[in-house]
Amino acid sequence: MKFEVRDITKHYGQQPVLRGTGLSLKARRCLSILGPSGCGKSTLLKVLAGLETAESGRILFDGQSLEKVPARRRGLVYLSQEPLLFPYLNVFENISFGLRLQKRPAQEIRQRTGELIEALGLEGMSEKMPAALSGGQRQRVAFGRALIIHPRVLLLDEPFGALDAQTRSEMQKLFMQISSREGITSLFVTHDAREALVVGHQWAFMEKGRLRQYETTAAFMADPATGLPQEMRFWQGLQEEQKQNQDPI
Amino acid sequence: MKSLGAYLALWLQGLLYALPFVVVLLLAGMPYWPFPQLWPGWSFQAWSLLWGGSDNVVPAFLHSLVLALSVGALATLGGFLSSRALQQGQLGGWARRWAYFPFLLTPVIYALLLQYFFTWLGWGGSLGGVLLAQLFITYPFAFLFFQGFWTRRVQDLENAAITLGAHQGQVFWRVLWPYARPALVTCFFQTFLISWFEYGLTSVIGLGKVPTLALAVFQYLSEANPALAAAAGLLLIAPPLFLLWLNKRILLTAAVYEV
Repeated sequence: MKFEVRDITKHYGQQPVLRGTGLSLKARRCLSILGPSGCGKSTLLKVLAGLETAESGRILFDGQSLEKVPARRRGLVYLSQEPLLFPYLNVFENISFGLRLQKRPAQEIRQRTGELIEALGLEGMSEKMPAALSGGQRQRVAFGRALIIHPRVLLLDEPFGALDAQTRSEMQKLFMQISSREGITSLFVTHDAREALVVGHQWAFMEKGRLRQYETTAAFMADPATGLPQEMRFWQGLQEEQKQNQDPI
Repeated sequence: MKSLGAYLALWLQGLLYALPFVVVLLLAGMPYWPFPQLWPGWSFQAWSLLWGGSDNVVPAFLHSLVLALSVGALATLGGFLSSRALQQGQLGGWARRWAYFPFLLTPVIYALLLQYFFTWLGWGGSLGGVLLAQLFITYPFAFLFFQGFWTRRVQDLENAAITLGAHQGQVFWRVLWPYARPALVTCFFQTFLISWFEYGLTSVIGLGKVPTLALAVFQYLSEANPALAAAAGLLLIAPPLFLLWLNKRILLTAAVYEV
């Protein structure tokens, strides 16, 4: 099973946003896409989800073409930076939203939602309304709402970008843990190089609408465009400086 | 903690609001106060005249209720749907410009303009004609009311539902409708009030053949019959107060979803 994107192009007016963008992703893996703001990452995810249309290109899941398939039938769930919960539904109802759309039996909805609530660490919060949750809890609910329908590919658009450092780190761990348990295939967009390294199994860098995918972790880390070599040099330099300062005179 | 001055100001404000109601209650229930009696005498004569007596206002009350409920529901629904159509680019910007037209004129002048066409079409003097004429004002009001509702956030919520597998009907009933409920209730309440208290348009288009409670109150006032006017006036404010109480959570608090 494989998810492939080939030569996607899109313009906003005269401005090119995606220029022959392509990628390849193996099943049950996470492809981290690193890129600065405005490079076209979010537009790419929206095009893949079917929320925006591309001028050309192919989207293939297991060889099946998805370009003409309406967004609701693609099975590619888009998760934005803002949790975007339905404010009039409680935690349980938000998470089970997709199952209710599918008109699943009440017993199945109760069981699956209950299990996911537990896995997400949201026990005892089923009845709470979104307004009563913290940012991290809301993002967990949004994550659960996406996971419960077993999407073909989960499209995460800087999902932890609005969280504080500690919550962000917790959410990254939770994401990896649940993704691995559920066997989720995902595209994870971020502008944080460290986050890209932590959550991904495969890596890509996007700039001015063009995407470059790397064969190995080393290749990704060695590319100066990602900013990673510079950052590593900075930390190494700092470490050496500290060592020298600690040496007895 | 409020200061003494703030409490006094609040009480004074409450008193100013309450005083007209007290006067109306006195006029409706104690119309006679002959000298040298210390207290006015109770009388339910006005009420008995209004309820089935010679000045029966029950048909006018029912007309008003049917008109206001229908106008409120149709204008709110129409305004909600057509503002969405505008947001989706199915209507041109001309729709927004035209929506302001009825408010450039006073309702009476607008009614005089409409009257010619209504008479020509044979709609004047009928309940349906008055309902349609009131929609000419309330529908643009509702259309403009919902302009601010269709934000980027609503679009994002729709998109979230779509990628989770929702079809258009499910997006409407499971996302838009519940999300818009506070705005829908507020708009319904306001259009209900416009219709309920409407005088000029109703009298001109109704040609005196469609009695409403607002018209009855004005008639009693012009006849210098304060007891009947006061009793009918109390009837006039009862349904809006009931609606306000029924939807107090939405109408009296800032019940807007911000999550």
